[in-house]
Amino acid sequence: MKQSRVTIYRNTMLLVATLVLGLVGHMRVAQADPRAVVSQAASAGKLDIRIPLQDKSVRFAVIGDSGTGDRAQYEVAQRMEAYRQATKFDFVIMLGDNIYGSHSPKDFVKKFEQPYKPLMDAGVKFYASLGNHDDPDDERLYKPFNMGGERYYAFRKGEAAFFALDSNYMDPKQLSWLDQNLKDSQGTWKICFFHHPLYNDGRHHGPDADLRTQVLPLFQRYGVNAVFSGHEHVYQRIKPENNIYYFVLGNSGKLMTHDFGEARERVKGFDSDQSFMLVEIAGDKLYFQTIARSGETIDSGELPRIHP
Amino acid sequence: MTLHRCRSLLSLSLLSIFLFSCVMAQKGDESAIKEFQDRINNYLSAKKKQDVSRKPTDSPDKLAQQKQQTAEKTKAARPEAHQGDIFTPGVSAYFRKQIESTLQGPEGSRVRASLRHAEPLPDVHLQVNAKYPKNLPLQSTPPTLLKNLPPLPKELQYRIVGSTLVLYDMASGLVVDFIPGAVPAA
Repeated sequence: MKQSRVTIYRNTMLLVATLVLGLVGHMRVAQADPRAVVSQAASAGKLDIRIPLQDKSVRFAVIGDSGTGDRAQYEVAQRMEAYRQATKFDFVIMLGDNIYGSHSPKDFVKKFEQPYKPLMDAGVKFYASLGNHDDPDDERLYKPFNMGGERYYAFRKGEAAFFALDSNYMDPKQLSWLDQNLKDSQGTWKICFFHHPLYNDGRHHGPDADLRTQVLPLFQRYGVNAVFSGHEHVYQRIKPENNIYYFVLGNSGKLMTHDFGEARERVKGFDSDQSFMLVEIAGDKLYFQTIARSGETIDSGELPRIHP
Repeated sequence: MTLHRCRSLLSLSLLSIFLFSCVMAQKGDESAIKEFQDRINNYLSAKKKQDVSRKPTDSPDKLAQQKQQTAEKTKAARPEAHQGDIFTPGVSAYFRKQIESTLQGPEGSRVRASLRHAEPLPDVHLQVNAKYPKNLPLQSTPPTLLKNLPPLPKELQYRIVGSTLVLYDMASGLVVDFIPGAVPAA
């Protein structure tokens, strides 16, 4: 009886030791190089690509609420680089909260320059919009964000016109700028991106109805086709409203799991991992693919341009 | 004098008093706005004398240096600054009235919802001519509220921290002035 107790004790200790060593080993592997898994997947040619890669199309990636400096941000960035090599997207739009917390020089490096270095080295340009965690003056002046020294700005890529707005501070001056620039735009596709979502099923923040009453009439009047926002730390594809497609992508660094309530506005939602989007505009179609940090494609599709 | 005539005279008097108070209130508003704008212009002039400007750069180190220099020069431009320099009692009263009428008006519930859905901040200790609290996000300011407040030059913004309306200098990251309790609880 005494012997069997000793045996049980020994076996238990052995099991505990094995578990502890196994856990430590797993942590070491995981911390050693978070990019290894991604690199292996990329080199093995296992990427699931669901955009058509047509000639002369406009291809870009989308990230939102990315600037944590955490491991998850780095892993998403590595996944983006693997997809860049395969799809040759040449710019990224940022939906705000580009740098969380303090904005010291080290933070710019850790939360932006370092994770996206492979993309920037390959010539990918980043176009930032401002979130509530961003420093508006530092970031508008930070050249790698390509904001031209302004809180809100417009740029053109092929047949698509992009409008980066500052939804933190939608004053009459910005509304008037938006009115004029949408009116004058010759883009076949008009795409707006900014931080606070107009429609949102997430429970943490919800939609910004006041912002919506101010900008939506302009979007409708001038035929905006698609709107990308962040803020809620999940992915959502919203039911098209008034001929406009809406996406919420606020989980490229931050993540709010179990954030969804009843599906009122969303067609598709994803709140269990970080993600980014790939978008391709070719002729009258917008193709999109949303990819989780794990590499799984969580949403994809083809959307026709509704406005003439 | 007939009763009917008395009533007419009384109604006329009340109407006159009402119109007079409206005109006086409008004049009061105009004078508060002018006083506010004059003080903002003085603030900008003082800053201009210090040659405060920032330029786009690739370097986060340069960004930090520029911001530090801008903050130091802006502080030096008004070393005696204190709360109420810009939001004087008269100006504060006007702002409180504007905010209250926005929040109690037909768009009030939507504006409050917008504040709730942004990232509401607690009331924190603020100091004029000192840095906006480090690592604290900037609460977005509802567009409808911005429409009802006097316009600001590019360098300055209204921000809400808890129940306080803050005048924020973007380039220096300094609190220019603030009105505590300007945003009443629902």
